[in-house]
Amino acid sequence: MVKEIITYPTPLSVEYATDVRVFNDELFALIEDLKDTINENNLDGLAAFQIGSYYNVIVVKNEDGELIEIINPRLIAHSGRVTTEESTAYYPNQTAEITRYENISVVYQDRDAKDCSLKASGSMAIVIQRKIDYTFGATFIHKMSKEAKEAFENRLEYGGEVGSADYCQTSFKRDKIVLIMNVIMVFMALGFVASLFIEDSLLLQNIWKYLLYGSIGVVLLDVVYFFYAQYEGKQQSGCSSCQIGNIIGTALIVLFKLSIIMLLSYFFVYQ
Amino acid sequence: MARLVVLGGGVAGHTTATFAAKWLGSGHEVVVVTPNAKWNWIPSNIWVGVGQMTKEDVTFDLAPVYAKAGITYHQAKAVSINPEGNESSDKPFVTIEYTSADKAGQSETIEYDYLVNATGPKLNFGATPGLGEGSQLGEHTVSVCTADHAVHASEKLAEAIEKMKAGTRQKFLIGTGHGMCTCQGAAFEYIFNIEHELRKAGVRDMADMKWISNESFLGDFGMGGLHMKVGGYVVSSKLFAESLFAERDVEWIIGAHVSKVEEGKVHYELLDGSTGEEEFDFSMLIPPFAGVGLKAYNKAGEDITDTVFAPNGFMKVDANYNAGAYENWKASDWPRTYQNPTYKNMFAAGIAFAPPHIISKPMSSPNGTPINPTPPRTGMPSGIIGKAVAHSVCDLMTKGENAHLHEASMAEMGAACVASAGKGIFDGTAAAMTVYPVVPDFEKYPGTGRDTDYTFGEIGLAGHWIKHILHHLFIYKAKLNPGWTLIPE
Repeated sequence: MVKEIITYPTPLSVEYATDVRVFNDELFALIEDLKDTINENNLDGLAAFQIGSYYNVIVVKNEDGELIEIINPRLIAHSGRVTTEESTAYYPNQTAEITRYENISVVYQDRDAKDCSLKASGSMAIVIQRKIDYTFGATFIHKMSKEAKEAFENRLEYGGEVGSADYCQTSFKRDKIVLIMNVIMVFMALGFVASLFIEDSLLLQNIWKYLLYGSIGVVLLDVVYFFYAQYEGKQQSGCSSCQIGNIIGTALIVLFKLSIIMLLSYFFVYQ
Repeated sequence: MARLVVLGGGVAGHTTATFAAKWLGSGHEVVVVTPNAKWNWIPSNIWVGVGQMTKEDVTFDLAPVYAKAGITYHQAKAVSINPEGNESSDKPFVTIEYTSADKAGQSETIEYDYLVNATGPKLNFGATPGLGEGSQLGEHTVSVCTADHAVHASEKLAEAIEKMKAGTRQKFLIGTGHGMCTCQGAAFEYIFNIEHELRKAGVRDMADMKWISNESFLGDFGMGGLHMKVGGYVVSSKLFAESLFAERDVEWIIGAHVSKVEEGKVHYELLDGSTGEEEFDFSMLIPPFAGVGLKAYNKAGEDITDTVFAPNGFMKVDANYNAGAYENWKASDWPRTYQNPTYKNMFAAGIAFAPPHIISKPMSSPNGTPINPTPPRTGMPSGIIGKAVAHSVCDLMTKGENAHLHEASMAEMGAACVASAGKGIFDGTAAAMTVYPVVPDFEKYPGTGRDTDYTFGEIGLAGHWIKHILHHLFIYKAKLNPGWTLIPE
């Protein structure tokens, strides 16, 4: 049966693929679906992941146009490197220059669960590598340099961060509040260090005043952070529990750092 | 007054003995038999191996700690177990051979009411020709498995750095020295710590670094891999590891069984059946682990080692050893109480218990050579199992032999691992990973077999700080300093 191929911006990787353990009709049906979908869309290969299955199965077309069933593949050996212009069904109408191994050796199982191996080079080697990447939750973006990745993502309609409710983000807007608090505290710490070399009591009083204002600012920001972070966390229904500890910890770490600066300042700067 | 004998004083044995001594008080006796005079926080051996810590930083004398805890301590190795006693007595006993300088070679028997086997592994260097003889490290490679090995490794590393400073390129080959190794994590830490030190020494450009391992994909770590949340994305540990290797310019050979080690060269066989050779100037290859070779005898003095121990020398416990092929493996195959099925007063903890099967996908080359990581059961799982076994034994001793046994299945247990990738207060890095459960449960969590909400990882400086704090925290705990019971395993 021809299946719908998952395309950008639908997130591809929620989990990485799992090895096939039971070789049964469910697997054979999946392989037939992959073949039908490849033929219908005139593709050079597909990973089961691309049609929404989490099994570690890929089907690729060899030089003779035959479809090879590759179950539980592992890329064992490689040599040489080659850079080519690649396209993939996940990003329709997009191409990118990707560097991959020129020659590869892959071990895998066939539909009878028999251990097999194949050696590939040229375009087939590239397709197999790209499909194996899919089974581990990656697209060719992961093979790009940081600059190439940014440039590619800028060309995409929704950028690179296509979210999913099923997993935790680890970069948040709230991190910017933490950054501001840290910057303020760095300046406060610098003010404290500078005060150790100053003897003018008027100047010291002024420094203390700025440190006090700074600390009030940081405390207020910390409160804002605490509540905003929880609000932001609730947008991620999948994992609010794993964030709450992080939020409390981050807020406490800020207060701890601030306390140290202010305690030292109280003894050495305050007059 | 009953007697608990704990064989081994590593993470599992030490945890079992110290908790048992605390819970049992003076009403019962706890005896520890371990061939070592010192306790070693093994994870930090990596830092000894790159000269960033000394042997003294990662070890301490056991005798004063056991004296403080009221534990009877014999610096000796266990040789055999007689779980039915002998012809003259029904009381089970172990035969030990002293290793301390004053009594070296002397034998003694110690009767027990309960026995916990936590002997850890025999470092089976002898399994690979040229890697060593028996449990002795050979002359061609180095190791970080013990503190002394790590000191030796750091000396060799210093020599290699001097050669590079003098203008001679050096080839580094780090990884696993056999197709059936575990502990890839330790080798992973070591290669990146070396890389970090070479950069610090300004000789990184003079070094060719290569990883060799029995994993079928980079980032398997003997656990079938895991997925990690990195920078807002969920990626498999394969991508995470591959990018780290590429970023640090470390090449890799995977799916490899090291078949022979010579001076400056290893021979290996790959999963696809091909063979190859790799030259090196400096190499650290982790040996495979085996049981320590304990024998068991019945009342009549007949050898019953096969009844008590699995063929690999690890003690049989309440696991399903007849799970069959990969497709039949279940989370429930894994042991829960670690009680020996034949002799109910014997338990095994840590590496010493025989796992029912491996965790990663079993693989072998077309020549029939098995090449797959064996299950890791060190660190946090070892400590948790040790504590659960201590709990069970204490209940059996105080509440009677029908007491409920405590459970700690690796298929229901999460574990945290912090893998160092370079030591430094400001430029250190470590990958902090949590995985739940350690053994995938494909019935409960279809797909990866793991709970995606509790399996994640990050790499960065904070990870290094955590690793460093853990170093001090666990040594503090193992020394039984005030509040030690509050520190988790």
